[in-house]
Amino acid sequence: MAEIRIENLAKSFGAANIIKNISLTIPDGDFCVFVGPSGCGKSTLLRLIAGLETATSGQILIDGRDVTALEPYDRHLSMVFQSYALYPHMTVKENIAFALRTAKTPEAEIAEKVAKAARILRLESYLDRKPAALSGGQRQRVAIGRAIVREPKAFLFDEPLSNLDAALRADTRVEIAALHKSLAATMIYVTHDQIEAMTLADRIVVLNEGQIMQVGSPRELYQRPANVFVAQFLGSPKMNILPARVADGAVALAGSAARLAAPPGWAGLASVGLRAEDCTVTAPENGVLTGTVVLCEYHGSGQQLLVDTAETGRIAAFTTANRDLGAGNRIGLAFSTDKLHPFDTGGTRLA
Amino acid sequence: MKAHNTLRWLVFLGAALVMNFPVIATFVTAFKGPGEVMKNPSLWLQAPTLENFITVFTISDRLNIFAYLWNSLVAALVGSILPIIVAFPIAWAMSRRGYGRAVLFPLIVNIRALPLIIFAIPLYMVYSATGLLDTRIGLGLILAIVNLPLTLMLLVNAIGEIPLELEEAARVDGARLPRMLLRVVLPLCRPAFVTTFVFGFITGWNEFLFGLMLTTRVAVPMTVGASFFFASSGGGVQWGVAAAVMVVAALPPLLLGLIMYRRITGSMVAGAVKG
Repeated sequence: MAEIRIENLAKSFGAANIIKNISLTIPDGDFCVFVGPSGCGKSTLLRLIAGLETATSGQILIDGRDVTALEPYDRHLSMVFQSYALYPHMTVKENIAFALRTAKTPEAEIAEKVAKAARILRLESYLDRKPAALSGGQRQRVAIGRAIVREPKAFLFDEPLSNLDAALRADTRVEIAALHKSLAATMIYVTHDQIEAMTLADRIVVLNEGQIMQVGSPRELYQRPANVFVAQFLGSPKMNILPARVADGAVALAGSAARLAAPPGWAGLASVGLRAEDCTVTAPENGVLTGTVVLCEYHGSGQQLLVDTAETGRIAAFTTANRDLGAGNRIGLAFSTDKLHPFDTGGTRLA
Repeated sequence: MKAHNTLRWLVFLGAALVMNFPVIATFVTAFKGPGEVMKNPSLWLQAPTLENFITVFTISDRLNIFAYLWNSLVAALVGSILPIIVAFPIAWAMSRRGYGRAVLFPLIVNIRALPLIIFAIPLYMVYSATGLLDTRIGLGLILAIVNLPLTLMLLVNAIGEIPLELEEAARVDGARLPRMLLRVVLPLCRPAFVTTFVFGFITGWNEFLFGLMLTTRVAVPMTVGASFFFASSGGGVQWGVAAAVMVVAALPPLLLGLIMYRRITGSMVAGAVKG
């Protein structure tokens, strides 16, 4: 297993700069998730690490060794593809054994390792089948088996669950997490699904337009997003961003007469972020903001509201209170300053 | 409904008869005795006989049908397998790396558009200088050139249809180019190999021009050899014998096509990537 270090990495396709000067260190044994919207460069970054794309500039180091110019077969990594990419003319057993055979491993050892991988992934009864005779979930497990059968320096996953149905996706996610624990391996996982990112990662790298927006644990990213992009990318519904300013040591929200004490360092405030679950529904006269309920969704554990406040726009709120709220009700929304995320005019977090 | 169907089949049958009339006539004539050929022009046999076939296989003073068949077989095999071996790596480089796609590929493909006769004189001189004249290998080599454009075209397309992820997976799995080509790309091209082999073999077997020009005695192929039978043992054309030799000459490619037909179609990449 190995530490992966990326230094000032850039990749352009013609005039399009897909990866813009990224530096990042993934410690040995880390489960690192690259997350971001479509086209943010997360898959390209993974393919650069795998060696399937060549860097325009910058360096990639695996265990301190510069691999930037090496071909994929000299990097000793394993990769699970979104499309599975199983060899259709080989049986499951041959698929899993391919990398070992390529490395000229003795047959006895191959048999042992394939059997072990098949046991872990519950593929024993399918070993002699061809991929065409397997279900989507089974194919995905074969693809994972192909990756774990040898001891690579790191595992790369490129949206491995996006072709599975919801139930299977949750199960496989748990399996991948368990696999990471038992192998204690460095894993890099690309997804656009924030639930996968939050549940699997030791460390999340949020990417947007070829740049790193923030790196940190799921908790850090959720609780202290470094900018508006991260704040709105993680969490569902996405974080409310309300225009605000600091005047006379108090936070003033547009359209609200209420004044909340401003903590130190909030001087350049331009907007505040507020998560739906941090709002409390009150009577209109007790709220910091007041508005009309536009939409009320029943979620079982609570209700998600969309509240139209004339001045600050529509705000999403989540309340566990089992009150009979419906469209047209006039309500107040209350929250304290410690629940607010302060951002400056550029969208960067203050304090 | 039923009458409608019957009518439809009658029309099909009529069309099939008209279009295949020369073939059917030849086939029927092959079973007519020397007397009947002259008297009975109908498709209906009065006294079917295998006499013509026996003649074809037993004339051995000057004409040896087994030698012609063997020459055609060797030349057609060389002419259909060699271009596959040569074209496979070229096709990969063209399809995946784009080498030669702009100029070389269209150029090779358009060799087919040229009348082959323009190669006749230079080829004859090259062949006589290199000792390839009147050899089975020599004939096979020129057939390989004839088949190369189609083979290359089909293989470039076949490789283009293999999902790129399969090659990427192999490379990440540690496979260098030769292993990736042999273990992953090559097996997946099998249907294309069968297709090009069948087409190439049939083209090679039926080729007449180069067979006539480049062979004289030792390496005469079936197509050219068949023409010798028309006037064998002097006198006029023996239509029965001529028809029989044509039937014999047509059988091998026909059988090959029928046997291989099921393998030509069908894809190899089912189950590789989520469809």
